[in-house]
Amino acid sequence: MNNIVTKLPLVVFVILVASLFIFLKNDNQELNSVLIDKQFPDFNLSSLDKSKVLSKNDLEDLPFIINVWATWCITCRVEHPFLMQLKNNPDITVYGINYKDDRREALNLLDRTGNPFKFSIFDPEGRLAIDLGVYGAPETFLIGKDGLIKVRHTGALTPEVWEEKFTKYID
Amino acid sequence: MIVEVGFLFLISAMVISFMGSLVPLVWSFNKETNLTSLISPIIVLVFLFTLSSLSILIYSFSIDDFSVKYVAQNSNINLPIYYKLSATWGAHEGSLLLWIFLLCSWSLFYILKEKDLSKDITGSILLQIIFFFIAFTVFTSNPFERLLPVVPQNGVDLNPLLQDFAFTIHPPILYLGYAGLAIPFAMSVSSLLQNSVNQDWARRTRPWVLMATGFLTLGITIGSWWAYYELGWGGWWFWDPVENAAFVPWLMAVALIHSLIVSEKRGHFKNWSVLLSILAFSMSLLGTFLVRSGILTSVHAFALDPERGVFLLGIFTYFVIGSLIIFSFKNTNKIPETGYTTTSKEFGFLLNNIFLVILGIAIMFGTLFPLIYEAIFDGKQISVGRPYYDTLIIPFAIGLAFLQVVALFFSWGKTENLSILKALAIYSFLFFIVLVSISYLVFEELYFSSILSLVLFTIILLGNLLSFKQKERSKYLAQIYTKTGSTLAHIGTAFFVLGVGFVSSYSFEREIILSKGQVYELAGNNFKFERIIKESQPNYSADKATFIVENENNSFTLNTEKRFYPSSNQVMSEAGIRPTLIKDYYVTLGEELDTDIWSFRIQIKTLVRWIWFGALLVTIGTFISSRRNFRNRDE
Repeated sequence: MNNIVTKLPLVVFVILVASLFIFLKNDNQELNSVLIDKQFPDFNLSSLDKSKVLSKNDLEDLPFIINVWATWCITCRVEHPFLMQLKNNPDITVYGINYKDDRREALNLLDRTGNPFKFSIFDPEGRLAIDLGVYGAPETFLIGKDGLIKVRHTGALTPEVWEEKFTKYID
Repeated sequence: MIVEVGFLFLISAMVISFMGSLVPLVWSFNKETNLTSLISPIIVLVFLFTLSSLSILIYSFSIDDFSVKYVAQNSNINLPIYYKLSATWGAHEGSLLLWIFLLCSWSLFYILKEKDLSKDITGSILLQIIFFFIAFTVFTSNPFERLLPVVPQNGVDLNPLLQDFAFTIHPPILYLGYAGLAIPFAMSVSSLLQNSVNQDWARRTRPWVLMATGFLTLGITIGSWWAYYELGWGGWWFWDPVENAAFVPWLMAVALIHSLIVSEKRGHFKNWSVLLSILAFSMSLLGTFLVRSGILTSVHAFALDPERGVFLLGIFTYFVIGSLIIFSFKNTNKIPETGYTTTSKEFGFLLNNIFLVILGIAIMFGTLFPLIYEAIFDGKQISVGRPYYDTLIIPFAIGLAFLQVVALFFSWGKTENLSILKALAIYSFLFFIVLVSISYLVFEELYFSSILSLVLFTIILLGNLLSFKQKERSKYLAQIYTKTGSTLAHIGTAFFVLGVGFVSSYSFEREIILSKGQVYELAGNNFKFERIIKESQPNYSADKATFIVENENNSFTLNTEKRFYPSSNQVMSEAGIRPTLIKDYYVTLGEELDTDIWSFRIQIKTLVRWIWFGALLVTIGTFISSRRNFRNRDE
């Protein structure tokens, strides 16, 4: 009896350590999202150009992608030309979330380089971004025809990534 | 140059602590070679080396030496000097060095405080822990790494969240608690190795556990207070993995304090006490691993690096599995035949321990569950949130509160006279009725959590005060005096519980949109959005809104800010808080929706201060108790 009791903690911790090693190995760098197949979160934020107060209902053209961007984010400039291309794709709408940014600088940048977004949600404190579990910019979410989040992609959106992860949900 | 010297000090400390950790090994091979007399000088040296190393890092921050990568990433030329200094522990590398330094300080304190060290290998086990953590720092997390040849001009900046007074003291105090748990761990392992787990061991260990627990309590309390006013959400506890990583060792340490009392006074539960001291330290190591490996993500998470995770898990494995192997094989103590009944103090303490440990395990399970889920369900992620923990904690809180009181009234062995409990029940009931009536008159509503917290408050408070059975007033006070520490700590839990229950019952929260000059009424208070201005500081620019709040009794202004930190591109909310004994008025500035139209979050928090007041009482009580225990045993 005594033996079992005093060895029980050892057994429990050996199992714990073994599983932790497995978890550590499993820990794929791909950031999954808790939100996959969930509704897009509710929000109340102003648009980047201050023209109106936006909520979830304003994201009306399904399917759409929503891109988290900022002027201080260098990778965002890399994916910018591709977003401009997507703007002309009739099968998909592109919205933006301007993340932790300065309003004036953000508008300036869009003026200079072109605006790929139907509109951008201004989220200086990252309120919506927190609900989306955003780690940083850029990140892109795809919301399917059924209104549920299908894909989360961190890092630059390139034609290759688009082919591989996004297109299967679009037509 | 001096930076390299700092690194050299760290390496020297690593080498020397390794040598010191070999003492028991040498001794076990050759019974004639007792080198324990070397341990103390080695600890002094290691302490001095890590002190110098840490001082040099702090110095590098003070002179803005951005050629050091760690300084460049965590400080900024415009940062006020006190934040530059506290930026030393603003990220992974520096906080690790601080942890090591504090562990060395504990070790130094240990060899100064303990009288008979001639056969004591505790110091050597502490040196092993120190060695592994220095090696971890040197090989994976070197804070002295240079950023050459290109030296940045002004540094990235300290995370604005951490530019705050509470943050300057929160990590050192919390780490003092964490590292302090290494002392009872090392004492237990060395006693196991030398077959000297006995009542004397329990008496020597107890004040150390109390002291570490005091720091742990204080550190967690400051963290909670900081989150409350700095994160701008108005919450005081979030069940974040990192909070759990501090809370679980705390539960284990509290269980250990109580089981050591039984081991010391009655000789029971010795195995259990040893196991708890191992568990308490393991949980603090596990917490470190979970936070630093990036295996769990949270508000507190530091830079992620898989290599660090493997190294830390290795350290965890070595100490935890190693000590548990010693525990299960070395341990020849038969579990003593009971010798106590269900109406004894021992039994009360046993139940208290079981409650605390199961609660700790359940919280740890909740923290790890997302990992398990992800592994089983093919990469799908899930988070275990508030509802799980909130549901979990209520039965345990009730159980622990009642056990606390009942055990106070029980005697060792067997309690002959239980009539006092009847008196307690009557007094408590009357007192409870009075408090409920007052609450109802003041707040005009009663909820499950407010009633429950009043029940627990009453029973703990009266239980503690009535447990001194002396009738004469002078003797009664004398008895309270001898138990000041534990009484304060226990009463602290009463205030804590009351605060928790009332905050969740009688708080108000609204998300609103106001234009300048508009008034919003919440629970009899008029919040008027008076004005908003722009302001510029060396390290940030801010929008600053002013409210005038009026109610029946008085009126006051509240300022809330939103700051933009250009060097790190972060926006921070500074909540406007008006603290009072009964209520906190709490306003956070949201977004500008149109010219002079802003969104706000307005909150009224009832008795929220009592939470930290209770926790502070626990801290003070624990420290007093630790001091008393040191004095009693050393006399």
